[in-house]
This record gives sequence, C-alpha cells and structure tokens, in this order.
Amino acid sequence: MSQLANPRLTPDGLLDEKAMAPVSWRTPIILGVISIVGLLAFVIFTHPGRISRIVVSRSADAIQIGTLHLPSQGSALVLLVVAFGLTGLSFWATLNRRRLGVIPIAFGIVMLFAFLIWAVAGNTGGLPLPLLLSTTITAAVPLVFGALAGVLCERSGIINIAIEGQLLAGAFLCVVVSSATGNPYIGLIAAPIAGALVGLLLAVFSIKYRVDQIIVGVVLNVLVLGLTNYLFSTVLTQNPQGLNNPPRMPSFAIPGLSEIPVIGPALFNQTVIVYVMYVVVAVLQVMLFRSRWGLRVRAVGEHPKAADTVGIKVNRTRYRNVVLGSAIAGFGGSAFVAAALPFTKEVSAGRGYIALAAMILGRWSPTGALAAALLFGFADSLNRVLGNIGSPVPYELLAMLPYLATIFAVAGLVGRIRPPAAEGKPYP
Amino acid sequence: MKKPIYAVATLAVAALTLAACGAAPEDEETAGGDTETTTEAADNSDFIGCMISDEGGFDDASFNQSGFEGLERAEADLGITIRSAESTDPGQYTANADAMVQAGCSLTIGVGFALEDTIQAAAEANPDLHFALVDSAFSAPDFSPVELDNAKPLLFNTQEAAFLAGYLAGGMTQTGTVATYGGQAFPSVTIFMDGFVDGVAAYNEAHGTDVQVLGWDKEAQDGSMTGDFTNTENGYNTTQQFIAAGADIILPVAGPVGAGSLSAASEHEGVSVIWVDSDGFEQESNAEYQDLILTSVIKLIGNSVFDTIDAAVAGDFDATPYVGTLENGGVDLAPYHSFEDQVPAELQTEIEDLREQIIAGDLVIESPSAN
Repeated sequence: MSQLANPRLTPDGLLDEKAMAPVSWRTPIILGVISIVGLLAFVIFTHPGRISRIVVSRSADAIQIGTLHLPSQGSALVLLVVAFGLTGLSFWATLNRRRLGVIPIAFGIVMLFAFLIWAVAGNTGGLPLPLLLSTTITAAVPLVFGALAGVLCERSGIINIAIEGQLLAGAFLCVVVSSATGNPYIGLIAAPIAGALVGLLLAVFSIKYRVDQIIVGVVLNVLVLGLTNYLFSTVLTQNPQGLNNPPRMPSFAIPGLSEIPVIGPALFNQTVIVYVMYVVVAVLQVMLFRSRWGLRVRAVGEHPKAADTVGIKVNRTRYRNVVLGSAIAGFGGSAFVAAALPFTKEVSAGRGYIALAAMILGRWSPTGALAAALLFGFADSLNRVLGNIGSPVPYELLAMLPYLATIFAVAGLVGRIRPPAAEGKPYP
Repeated sequence: MKKPIYAVATLAVAALTLAACGAAPEDEETAGGDTETTTEAADNSDFIGCMISDEGGFDDASFNQSGFEGLERAEADLGITIRSAESTDPGQYTANADAMVQAGCSLTIGVGFALEDTIQAAAEANPDLHFALVDSAFSAPDFSPVELDNAKPLLFNTQEAAFLAGYLAGGMTQTGTVATYGGQAFPSVTIFMDGFVDGVAAYNEAHGTDVQVLGWDKEAQDGSMTGDFTNTENGYNTTQQFIAAGADIILPVAGPVGAGSLSAASEHEGVSVIWVDSDGFEQESNAEYQDLILTSVIKLIGNSVFDTIDAAVAGDFDATPYVGTLENGGVDLAPYHSFEDQVPAELQTEIEDLREQIIAGDLVIESPSAN
C-alpha cells in the first residue's frame, strides 16, 4: 500500500475517501451550541406561565387578525425542538457530504422567533409585528439605495466609499429644495443631483487623476459632512421655516396588495421612494446580468484590457456608472427626511458604511443587496421596537444589534466572495 | 506623473478648508476652535469667558444652545470677551479644553455630561483658572463625588418640573397611555423621565386612574433610548410606535430628535408632545407644530451660565454647585400656550398646588439622578 505512486488512489483505482476535502463540522457545531444556549435561555431559565402577545394586525387594516396570545415557554420549546431537528439534519447532511442549503437560514428564522417570544414574554403591550416590518422597510430604504450605488460603481471597477457622503448630500439638498418649493417631489429630483455631483468628484479624481479610490472616497465623506454642517449652522438655522421644513411625502396604498395581512401595509402602503426602490432593484438586476450594457459594465470591472480590446470605452463606462450610481445613492438620502423631518447634522449617521457592507453581503448583485439591506434594516428596527416596548434586554445591548448583525453576516454568512477583479485599479 | 500629486493636494486643501468651516462655523481657526469677539458695552473685556460644546454643537436647539445664549448675554451685558470651541465629536473635547486654557480663559464652561472628565482634568491641571460644568458634578474614577475648588457644577433638579409635566399628562390623556423616550441614558436625560413617571403615578393616586407610561421603567432605570441626539428618524419611528400602542402624549428627552416626535404627532389626531430644555412653543424651528406642544419642561441653563460668569467677573467665583430648582426658577414648567383653554382649571390649580408644595419642601421628588 505504502509504495503506491499516487496515494490519492486506492489499488482498484478509486478515489480515496481520506484524500477528499475534510468534512467541515463548523456549521453543525455552531447550530448545536446556539440551540443549547437557546434552550437554556428561552425555555429552562425563563418564567413559566407567561404569555407572549404578538399584535398581528393594526386597527386600520382591512383584514383583522387581532393579537396572538402564546404561552411563552411552550411556544419557545416547540421552536427549539424544530431548531434541534434542523441541527440534527445539518449533522446528517454534513456526514453524507450533502450541501446544507437553506438549513442555516431556516435555523436562523426559527431561533429569531424563539428570541422574540422570549423577549416579549409577559409584556402587556405585545410585539407589534406590522410596525416591526414597516420600520424594517423604512430603515432599509437608504441602505438599499446606497448598496445599489456601490454595486453600480464597483461592477465597473471603481470603489465607492463615498456612499455616506452621497446619502448625506442627497438628504441635504432634498430638504432645502423641497422646503423652498413646498413640493416634496421636486426635492426628490434634487437629491440625485447632489449625489451625482459628489460622484462626479469621485470619478474625476479616481479616473482622470488616478488617485487611490478609497482615499478619495473617505475625503469626500469628510468634505460633504463639513459642507453640510457648515451650511446647516449658517444658512439653515437662520431660516428654519423657509429652508429646513420639508413637506411630508405622502404614502400611497396599492389597492389589493396593501390588504395582505401582516406584510401588506409594510410593503405596499409606502411613499413613492419605496416603490422607486422596487423598480430600481428589478431593473438593475435585469440590466446588469441580462443586457448588453450590463455585460459591458461587468467586463470593464473584471478585465478592462479585454473590454478595451473589443472596443468598449473603459473610462467612459466608469464615469457613467459612478455618476449614475452616486445619483441613486443621493436619491436614497431623501428617505432620511421623507417623514417631514428637518435636516440635522450628520443625518446619515454612518449608514453609508452599512450600505457598503450590504453590497458585499449581497455579493455585488442588486437583489442580494436588497436582501442584505433588509436584514440590516430588520436588526435596526428590532432594536428600536424592543427598546420601546420594554424588553428584558438592556438597551445598550440592543443598540449593538445592527452592528453585530453586520459583523456576523459579513464574517460568517458571506463565505468565500470575489469582488470584481479590476476593482480599485485605474485604467489604463 | 506629477498630476496626481497636485490633484490630491488640491482635494485635500479643499476638504480641509471646507471641513474647517463646518466644524466650527463661528470660529476663525479650526484646530483650537476659538473665537474672539470684543464689545465695548462695559469695561470687563480683560475677563475672558469661554465655552466648550459637546458634540451636538451650539445650534442644537437644546442645551448647548441655551448655554451659549447665556454666554452671549454675558458678552452683551457685562462686556466680557468670549471665546468658544464647538466640538463635533467626543475626540475633540480635550483639545478644545487645552485651546481654551491656552487662550487665557478666566472661566471655561463645559456644556454637557459628556465633558465631565475633560473639565475635571483641566481644572485639576490649572488650579489658578476657573471652570464650570453644565449638567454634571465631578467624580473620581470609582464614581465617588469629588469637589474641586476651582470648578463649579451647574446642576438641575429637572425631576421637579418633569413631575408637574407628568401630572399634567396624567390629567390630559384621553387614551390613558402616555410615553417618554430619551436620546441616551445620561443622568441629565433620565432625570426627566423619572420625574415624568412619578408625576403620572401621583395623578393616578390622586384620581384613582390607571394611566400607563410607556418607555421608561424607573425601578429598573431602563427604557426607550434612540441612541443619539441627532437622528430625528429614530424619534419619528419611536413616536409612531408609542402612538400605535395607544399613547397620546409624548415626552421626548433627546434634544433635536424631538422634532421627529412632532412630525409623527402631526399625523395623528389628538396626539401632543411635551418639549424639553427650552419653551418649545417659542422655538422658531417648531413654528409649524405649535398646536401640538402641550407644554415644555424648561431648564434655564442660560441663566445659570450668566449668573456664574457674573459672579466670576465680580471676583467672587464660588465652586459650590448651583442646583436649579422650581424654587429658584432654574427649572420650570412652561405656559400651556395653545392648550391654555383645554387644560381644565382644576388641573391647573392642582399643578400650582403641587408646585407650591415642592417649593416649600413638603413634597420631594426622588430620582437616582437628582442632585
């Protein structure tokens, strides 16, 4: 045996089991540990006899379901039995070298529900599920637009760290223009212009002057922050009624769809910004992966020399993409102030960077970015909602939730990712 | 290959120039962030009164602004020279305090709980200069209280005024539910919430009602916090949630974030807001929402700043803490303005009686954050 020339093959020429990639027990073990912790926290060390109330429909909804009254311990036990089942399934799948597929995601959802039932146990108000979902959407909207901006820029090979600045610039101009004109829709036209101007600076410095793209992006963020703070302190505070008093963006309910219980009002009774978001995600997904334009953009981002050889204007494509993407981010900035909220200093509060994480987690695709942004939006919304109903989790811990979700998602869920190959490299 | 270098240089210069303007709009220079304005109103121009804001900045329509107004009044009325350093992030506090000391400030006032360590360190390092700190006393690393001979804490027993606001809310609610939330769990924030909760409880006891307060558990000292003092969207969402849970009177204790509450309240019939720090009805930025402001829990930071400077100019600076109370007018409940006709006369009388009792010392409002 030992003198075989190729140790990978058994004497009868078959591939040796031991020579195959080692079985990774990481995921099943993590799931098992989480299940045991969950069992201890949510079932064993919890007050028996408590009721978890979950408010399923709002008073304004067409279809009334009312409030669910679930026995906290029992429901958590059922969910944890499911969680242990999924853990067992993942051990079995790993042993047989099957793909885990949706098992970790299903596990996450089950554990989330167990956590929610535990967190609202004994709470008299109950968990307002429709509100949780609608604030998830509102929290996710700027992240989605920011992440789409990142996708468009990076697919063409330009790193856009300046999403934060573009969101902020968009919010600022949206407030000023819509306050001055009294029409929220004119503000929506102004917001992408502000974003595009920031994007133009990014493009000129990174494409024409070949400055390191990350440095330009960071500097632009500081620039926009300084500029908006300066204008806020000087111009806006002098005339708050005329320039910092945006009108409310009205919500439209889509007939039929908005009456779906639980998710209907959150998804289909929203401002025009949210509907634009759905359209932009769908259009970009199709355009980027199914159109000639998309193929060219991706070629420029992956192998600009090859693209140039077949006659694609590399830098012109990059200019267009950066400006278009930045305009999308600027449009997203208007979501911060859509509820007739005045502009305040640094209203974007670092969400441009979370959008960047959403883009990476979404693997540089529009629908992936949407899903990742919704995940972050949910974490943010959960933190608010649980904090407000008075949960047993201290608010300092809850406040970490969106960032913990970001780190876990980017570090744990993404796995092996591959950014566009020519990203960050000036051409030629 | 020289071009990129020029481009970087140009961009950096542009960014620095503009960032400088943004960081300290009232200032001539950024690093120190100090400004000099001399008036000829009186002959105290050799007295330099200085102020450092916390990260909210002097135009926060809240306590930094109130403090700065006191400093400006001292400039106009007493003819002193003023300097100010606006912080935009916590990393600048120490540098700003150093700049103030080097600028030869006779008295440096830090605004906000967040500047406690900075002012304390500066006061210990410069025993010959005078300091004051709004909203916090000084403490050793183990949280035991420390008294310094040259630093005066300017404190407020805000819970007294907030108690009256809570009593009012208990009497005015139609739904039997009221709510409060804070920006961050600083003692100067939670003291409002403690008083408010107690006020509602006192109303319940006096009238046999069962008005609920959402957003703050005084026992546990835990409740709803938006996480900062800038993000109005969080204030808006939090208020929407409280309204959905049945609350019709909201007390936001988060400075400018309260604007989000006003916006949310304006979307619902019969929801009102209690403003904090200054009289919200008179804030120009709230002009559109005047009809929604039931009252305000006011904290006259400006007056305490002015009085401290006044005493220091006269040469009798005294480091014993100033504590603003209902009795000395340092805290108060604002007029009802647009709600004047809607607050029942009996309720107004009850609140007046309670105010008298608190002033007389017959009724003490407890709070872990009280001074």
